[in-house]
Amino acid sequence: MKNLEELLKSDEFKLLSFLITSARGCVDEPQLYGPLRLVDAAAKLIQILEKKGMATPEITKLRELIEEKEYTVMYSEEEFIAFLDELSKELAKLLKK
Amino acid sequence: MELEEIIKGRRAVRKYEEKEIPFEHAKKILEAGIWAPSGSNLQSWEFVVVRDKEMIEKIKMASPGLFGNPAMLVIGCINKERAKRGGKIGYPMAMMDVAMAFQNMMLMAYSLGIGSCPVLSFNKVILKELLEIPEEVDPILIVTFGYPPFWPKPPRRRKEVIHLEKFGRAFEE
Ligand SMILES: Cc1cc2nc3c(=O)[nH]c(=O)nc-3n(C[C@H](O)[C@H](O)[C@H](O)COP(=O)(O)O)c2cc1C
Repeated sequence: MKNLEELLKSDEFKLLSFLITSARGCVDEPQLYGPLRLVDAAAKLIQILEKKGMATPEITKLRELIEEKEYTVMYSEEEFIAFLDELSKELAKLLKK
Repeated sequence: MELEEIIKGRRAVRKYEEKEIPFEHAKKILEAGIWAPSGSNLQSWEFVVVRDKEMIEKIKMASPGLFGNPAMLVIGCINKERAKRGGKIGYPMAMMDVAMAFQNMMLMAYSLGIGSCPVLSFNKVILKELLEIPEEVDPILIVTFGYPPFWPKPPRRRKEVIHLEKFGRAFEE
């Protein structure tokens, strides 16, 4: 894909823009917003894989878990960290395959 | 709807349906905003209303804390020139004014079945460029608006923050 207009509308560019603006945001924001942006970016990346037909049900499950629990960061630090551990465990299952 | 029901029912909404907000309702929301109180009656606020889908999409790209696909954004800004008339406290005062205006807007929206969410996590530099906001105007808070597919569960409120007569004395046993 070499067409700039097309690139600017793509999900990949949206993710790129998200990463750069998150980097700037993280300088001033609460510490736990860093991990929030990272898992949110992970979910966006999984969405891209899904659209390309490259995702498997295991990967989609990771996205669903992120979307279900990422907002806990705003309500309970413990719950958010427990969610990150749960996500890591799910990832471990995949890595062990 | 009772006022108490509106105050307690409003939630930060991060998922929206694909549905436009009628212009009449948008007007009511903005009108509620500018009827908020303001320090020294300076009204140092400016509100940029964005309903264009393409622009919303661009702003989303520059706002990591903006979730879902809202139908409308309102960007609350401080007019620094006007705020100067408030002296040294002019700027913090204007921040309070914008916050009060937005609360009015969010409550009016809720009474119309419209959800909202304040968003502080956005890139100021990019937003100013995109919306051609002049140098003397500072965007400080975005609020998203749209129709929620469901109302999120309310987070617990800290009751211990209310003190009776003296700090540290519980308001309610
Ligand atoms: C000044 C301010 C900034 C906020 N910024 C964000 C934000 O960037 N992203 C977001 O999703 N929510 C944001 N919120 C929403 C809060 O997370 C939310 O109001 C809080 O968790 C309480 O939930 P409730 O509004 O449903 O009662 C913000 C709220 C305020 C008042």
